[in-house]
Amino acid sequence: MKKKKNDLQKKLVFTLFFLASFLGIEAQTSESKKDWVKDLKIGIRMQKTQKLYWENGLAMDFTSPKIANNRIHLGFSYVTTRLGSAMGTNAIQQDNFLFNLGYYFRHQKKLQPFIRANTGYFYADYESDIFDDLSNTAVLLSIDTGVSYEFNTPITINLSAGYNLNTGTGLSGPGTLYPVFYQLSVFYTVFKKS
Amino acid sequence: MKAKNILFKLFIIFVLLLTGCSDEPTIDNATMLDGDQIFDASIYNPENYLVSVAIDNPTTIQKNTPVIIATHGYSATTFEWDEFRNHSDMNANILISQVLLGGHGSTYEAFKNSTWKDWQTPIMNEYNALRDKGYININFAGSSTACALMLDLIKTDEIGDNGLKHIFLIDPIVIPSDKSLTLIGFVGPMLGYFESTNTTIEDSYYYRFRPQETLKELLNLTNKVRKDLQKGFNLPQSTQMKVYKSTNDDVADAVSAVLLYRGLKNHDGSKINIQMIDSKLHVVTRLDGRDTITQKDIDIQKQVFDDMLMIIAQ
Repeated sequence: MKKKKNDLQKKLVFTLFFLASFLGIEAQTSESKKDWVKDLKIGIRMQKTQKLYWENGLAMDFTSPKIANNRIHLGFSYVTTRLGSAMGTNAIQQDNFLFNLGYYFRHQKKLQPFIRANTGYFYADYESDIFDDLSNTAVLLSIDTGVSYEFNTPITINLSAGYNLNTGTGLSGPGTLYPVFYQLSVFYTVFKKS
Repeated sequence: MKAKNILFKLFIIFVLLLTGCSDEPTIDNATMLDGDQIFDASIYNPENYLVSVAIDNPTTIQKNTPVIIATHGYSATTFEWDEFRNHSDMNANILISQVLLGGHGSTYEAFKNSTWKDWQTPIMNEYNALRDKGYININFAGSSTACALMLDLIKTDEIGDNGLKHIFLIDPIVIPSDKSLTLIGFVGPMLGYFESTNTTIEDSYYYRFRPQETLKELLNLTNKVRKDLQKGFNLPQSTQMKVYKSTNDDVADAVSAVLLYRGLKNHDGSKINIQMIDSKLHVVTRLDGRDTITQKDIDIQKQVFDDMLMIIAQ
């Protein structure tokens, strides 16, 4: 029970950190939007892990002319089986809080290949005390690569495939943290500096 | 020109990778189960392993005696349940059928050409043979992959109401510990087979070389069972289950027990009985042939065997 409580506390802290970082970016954009922000996009993300779950949620993407001349994208996402495979089923409820830093090629074109490094926090809810000794949290470390396409409307679609470097092994790490995943993100551009 | 050079080099590397892969392992026939000299003992003397073969016309007393269909895991043989037979012979009045999975216990080629459905068939054959002979107290004990095979038989209603009294699952595999198994469809054809780290004794009872085709079958089976558990299903009426799961298992991830707990219910909808065991072994009930075992491992094995026999006696 104690471990579960600690896990919940950790989860809360990460969630607060996650929200705080978002609010920080928001505050900054309202103060000096013209200087710092090139694009600010929010949207939905669908993630499928190879031979495991669908995990869906929200994502945000941000570029700045002051950071590598818009070639570097910063973002964060929250995807969970609660909005995917675990909806109305017995799949394990698990959450992924992820920060990412991506390098986009052809950044002035509509079609932009990219490569990203991601880090964050993983939590799985094992439901019962009898599984208290099993690892259910992990630091996420992954890379992914794909393409982004920006339509004439304020919509951008990202498709990528990635690899988790820190998966469960049976001896350590959560068992439902699998290596290969595929993502589809659909963003709406809320701010764009022309 | 530069791009052409790079493409050409990549092509050469790809060809070298393909040609560098060996499809067939080097098998020592004299010492390895994979060869054509060592076979599982149940192939030569089925009467020593299968109750349905050993007893032609069972008496009423025999028909009422508990029979346990004990089944081994992927790449193993009946050897995996020898220790349970020895323990039971000394401590209980029960009958044991040690079933050899299809495609197992003979040659690498036979194993390579088998599917998980083939592995499953002998379990049903023995179950049906026992029922035909009038046995009414049939039980099942499975280790590792045998558990996944039994879960599929329950899900597909092959085992119906009042078919089995008790089911014991030892380190069931639903989620593999080695997550690279999920990539077998991609890397398997390039590598052909994978070599395990058997001890010298284990080489006689476990396949050392695991054809990528069988690993694909294993992945297909576990993936099917995982999806079935995700949807959820119940045990047949009058069937009770006990799961024993090692917490640090480098073959069957311990989270497999979580999926069972969430997805499988007793017939009345209540939770199934799961015991998590503080052990680093996969299949905590098999100690023979291992390099090192501790007193704790011996104690765990005895505790599980005694618990199984006590449940059957009840």
